[in-house]
Formats: sequence, C-alpha cells, structure tokens
Amino acid sequence: MRLLVVEDDLAIRDFLKRGLTESGYQVDTAPDGKSALSLAADAAYDGFIIDLGLPDMDGLDLIARCRAQGHTAPVLILSARRTVDERVRGLEQGGDDYLTKPFALAEVVARLRNLLRRGTAPQQEAVRLHVADLELDLVRREARRGGQLLQLTAQEFSLLEYLIRNEGRVVTRTMILDQVWHMHIDPATNVVEVQIYRLRKKVDEDGKHPLIHTIRGVGYVLRES
Amino acid sequence: MFSGNRNALRNSAAWRIAAWPAVAFAVGVALALATMYLFIARDIRARSDAWLSGEAGTLADVSAKTPRDSLYGRLVEEVAELATHEVSDASLSGQQQNSVFFLQMQPNEEPIWVGPDPKQRFIQAIQLAQLAPGIPGDVHVDGWKLPFRVVYHAHDTAAGIYLGFADLSGAKMLDRLTERCLLVWGITVALGFLITWLAAYRTLSRVERISDTVSRIDSDDLSRRLPEGRYPDEISRLSNTFNKMLDRIQSSVHQLRVLTDSVAHDLKSPVTSIRGTLEVALAEADRAQLQEQVAKAIEGLDRLSEMLNTTLDLAEADAGALPLQKEPIELAGLIQPLVDLYQPAMDEQGLRVTTQLQPIVVDADRSLLNRMVANLLDNEVAHLPPGCEVNIVIQTRGQEASIIVTDNGPGFPPDLLDRAFERFVKGEHSTGHGLGLAFVQAVVTAHGGNVALSNQAGGGAVISLSMPTVLVPVEKSREGPQKPAISLH
Repeated sequence: MRLLVVEDDLAIRDFLKRGLTESGYQVDTAPDGKSALSLAADAAYDGFIIDLGLPDMDGLDLIARCRAQGHTAPVLILSARRTVDERVRGLEQGGDDYLTKPFALAEVVARLRNLLRRGTAPQQEAVRLHVADLELDLVRREARRGGQLLQLTAQEFSLLEYLIRNEGRVVTRTMILDQVWHMHIDPATNVVEVQIYRLRKKVDEDGKHPLIHTIRGVGYVLRES
Repeated sequence: MFSGNRNALRNSAAWRIAAWPAVAFAVGVALALATMYLFIARDIRARSDAWLSGEAGTLADVSAKTPRDSLYGRLVEEVAELATHEVSDASLSGQQQNSVFFLQMQPNEEPIWVGPDPKQRFIQAIQLAQLAPGIPGDVHVDGWKLPFRVVYHAHDTAAGIYLGFADLSGAKMLDRLTERCLLVWGITVALGFLITWLAAYRTLSRVERISDTVSRIDSDDLSRRLPEGRYPDEISRLSNTFNKMLDRIQSSVHQLRVLTDSVAHDLKSPVTSIRGTLEVALAEADRAQLQEQVAKAIEGLDRLSEMLNTTLDLAEADAGALPLQKEPIELAGLIQPLVDLYQPAMDEQGLRVTTQLQPIVVDADRSLLNRMVANLLDNEVAHLPPGCEVNIVIQTRGQEASIIVTDNGPGFPPDLLDRAFERFVKGEHSTGHGLGLAFVQAVVTAHGGNVALSNQAGGGAVISLSMPTVLVPVEKSREGPQKPAISLH
C-alpha cells in the first residue's frame, strides 16, 4: 500500500513517515501542495494524508485538485482547526476522515486502516471471534476463556469485542471511548483504565497467559504474546 | 458655547437637526400670516365695495331726480365731488381726488366726468371691462398701479353711471401689513431656528462629551467612566450603556490577563516536567526504564493537550462562538451510559452512584453535553473521599430541565463557592487543571441555562443545572435522526 503524506511541519512529516513505514506502508511525503500535486501526477496512491494548513494552498483545494487528477483513494485530513464547521467542510469537500492535532500515531494508523478497508469487499460478518483460547460468541454475547464462561457486563463484552477485532493493534483511550461508548469525551479521571483493569481481571485471571497488554503512554493491545 | 470654528459648526449635527424644524416653522408661520393677510385684504375690499355701491346708488338717485336741464351736469358734478370727499383722509388729501372718479354716460352728449385726467383712458378701460350692473369689478387703467373698483348703475337705457375708486389708503395699509408680516415672520423663524439649534446643540454636546471621554479610554486605563446626567433620558441611558460596556470590557480584559497568567503558569509546569522526564530518558540506558520515562512524557502531553482543548472551548464559549449542533436529546438516555462508564472507576474508589432519571428532552449539542456530564462525574471522582455517595437526579421544573448532582462528601471549600466556575480555580488538593466547572458553566450558558453550586446543610455539595426543555414527545425524539455526533477532537 502506497501513501502520500502532505504536511508542512517537518517533525510531523517525519514521524508520520516513520510510524506508517513501520506499520508496513510505503510512504511518500510532500511539504507543500505543489510538490504533492507533481508526486500525485506520476504515481497511483492508495491513500492520502493531507494537512489543511499548507503554506502554498488550502488543503481542501489540494484534495479537490487530486480528485480532478482522477485520484479516488481515500483522504485522511489532518488539521489544527477543531471546530465542527471545519470538520464538516473537510468531509464534504472530498475528505474521508478528519483528525485534529494533536493526535496519537496509533489513531492515524487505525483510521487509515479503516479507510483503506472501505474500498475492499465487505468482510463476511463473523459470529465468533478467537484469540488463543479466548472465544467470543457475538450472537449470544458470551465470552469463554479456555472453555470457561466469563461473567462480563455488557460494557465489558463490547470492550473485549473491540479489542479482539483490533487484535495485535494498539488502540488508544480516545479510540476506545469513541468506538465502544460512542462518546467523544476526554475524561480527566481514569475511567477507561479502570474498565480495562476490570476486564483484564476477568479475562487474564491469575495464572493464565495474559492477552490484554498496556502500552504505556499510548493505549492497549490484545495479543497472544 | 458659540466658540468653536466654522468647521466644527459645519460638522455638527445640531445644524441639520435645527434646519428641518426651522423650514417647517417658516412654512407654517408664512401660511398663518398669509391667511391673515388675505382675510384683512378681503375685509378692506368689502368695505370699499359697500361704500362704492351705496354711493353709486345715491348718485343714481340724484341723477334720476334732477331735471335734465343745463344745470344737470353741474349739479351731478357737485354731488359726485362731495361723495368723493367722503373717503378723503387727512394724510392722503392730496391724491384723494385722483383716486375717485365719477362718470355718467349721456346719449348724444358729452359724458359727465369728475376725476383724474385724461378721462379718455378711463372711459376706454371701462368700456373694455364690460361690467355687470350693481356688481363692483376691477378696472385696470393705464398709468395707475392700483386697479379701480368700479360699480355701474343704469337706471335708464342711455345714461349709465359709473363710480370708480382706487383704495389708496387700503393699499397703503396692506403694504404696511405686508412689511410687518415679513418682519414678524423673519423674527419668528430666526428665533425658532435659534432655539431648536440651541436645544440640539446642548443635547448633542453631551453626546460629544461621551465621544470625547470614550476616545480617551484606552486599554491601559479602562477605569474611566462617563458622567450619567441628572435625568434618566436617552443620553443618560447611552452613557449608562457605555459604562456597562466598559465594565464588561474591563472585566474581560482583567479575566484575559488572569487567564494568560494562569495558562502561562499551567503550561510551564507540565512543559517543565515533560522536558525533565525526557531529559532523564535521554540518559537512560535501561530500555524498560527509558520506555517508562517516555510513556510518562506522553501522558503529560496528553493532559496538556486536553487542557489546551478545553481552554480553547472556553475561549470560544466566551466569544459566543461555541458551535452548537443542536438536536433533541433525551437526557436520561445521555446520562445513563456516562454513569455506566464511570461506575467501575467510582466503585474502585469506594464511591456509590445512584440515579433518579426520567425522560426529559432538551434541544442540545450531544457532544458538548456528553463532555459536560463527564466533567461533572470527573469532578466527583476526583474530590470525594471513599465511602461517599453521588446522587444524580433529573427532573422538570416548569419549562426547565434540571440536572442535580449531590454528594455527601466534604462539600466545596467555602472560599471556592463563589469562584468555582472561574477558570483555573481549583481546590487546594486538586490535581485537575481547574477548567472542569468553568467548562460546565460555559456549556450550560451556551444552551440558555443556569448552573449553581451550594453546600448542603448536612454536608456535601450540590451542583444544579437547568436548561430549557423541548416540548417533543419522547417517542418522537427517539425516532429522530441518529446521526453520529461529530467529535471535536
């Protein structure tokens, strides 16, 4: 998968390139709209990450011109402007998703993956999810570890389902609140941590091989090792 | 008051304000005077006409009764002369004879003429005028400024009697009247204009003073205030409004300074600690330790960016620019999931939370309301000692929906009660950034509601919020568009 990152801030451009390369993408970067357009003219990209505040043109114009060049790949907009208005405008004018600064790299990766998946055929909707000896029955909404039924609350089940669906990938606190609770809040207290802590107590009971891991400073990941 | 150069006068609105009433005044007074003039002129003419008719009648009688012998002409002339003397006026005696004429046409004889010469002109003018018998009419005679009023009597076929009269004294009187009217008109208009202008000038000079004072107010000295006049009139109200605006500006500027100081302070500490943490990490050889330090720095940055976002939201709310995406929201349905989210965290702290929720619909921004309730719950989690209980009630009071959060903790410190909604005001042991309740207030205010803090008599804090309800049946609102709310982050 080949991506074009258009961002004028050198530090952000660099860390996006590194982070996305590590996640397995092939990344080209451009510091302004003009060089982005010339890159886009010569290559086919699977996705764009475009900052709205470019030195030579408005990010929204750049998106429009890329679209005019025939690019249909999804666009993730980055912006320091955080008003709802900006966001709506960005999404209306050719952007596919919108992320405000400051953001976590994990979130960029997660959103990008979502966007890139959108183009492909819809997956067969699974009724069961597995990771190691953890098994989720999405129809009965039951979770078993090593064949033993776990006593989970509805919230805990949703949280576990989200973690399993993102197996091996780090999810941030914001992503959890967004995707599991459908809330765009930023709690000043450790509500998410406690939710994870409680879930972990039930899933990774004493003596069992731990599946839910904390990545300090970033978020959580569910994986076998 | 009249000093000030011509330019200042030209630039003064007092002129324009005074000009229109003056024009109206001039027209009004002119109309009144003209009407009066016309009435008087008509009276004078009626008087002279009455005299003319009477006199002409007498003369006609005399002429009829007098036998037509050689003395007839002399006799009628005498009588006519006498008649013309009746109107004589001491001051006009010289010309008076010239202003009256008597003419009797006689068949086959010279007409009898008593009056100014040359009589031929008069006779011509009279013949041209074609007068009706008995009705006085105007006859213009060449060489005479005033027209003659002439009455015509014909008691037999051939001998018509004409009596003409140019009312010189009446004309003189009317001339004097015109002069005086013009004088009175001029004085009244000038006085009227002057008074209006003075009144306008005096009033506007108060406006001028306001503009003077306001122009001297700058951001360094916002304490100056306008004098508010003795009477509560429009201009006093203007001063009053300005003063209130200045109060608000002064308090905003003050708040802004406090805010800037606080932001600077509140940014400096975390930036220092993050920097320190990273410096330590740089020197760290042990990978696990290094990761720990970096993670700590990232957490610090997350807190910093959350504070930044809330500060920006508050700034937007203050500017009245908090973008609201309003939709009908069922409050219980919004609060319960948040309580569920916070429940485990409260549980871990040994706090109990109970709710008494009933379906109430408000027109509000879902995302902001979520964050507002989260702030309230954060506040409880952060400040309550273990073993306490939080109770959340929503209820309607008339047209208002109230959310009342009570706890049985230590309550707000008394010195904070009044200031708790100010930003960066926080309790002594608070680890927050002091923006939570300020944000709550900003959201409630943006929705047209109120928020109040108090301590219960038996201990514990009460935060009570109210916002206007929507008269939408709950079922309907649930069917409403379920657009995913748009995040601000």
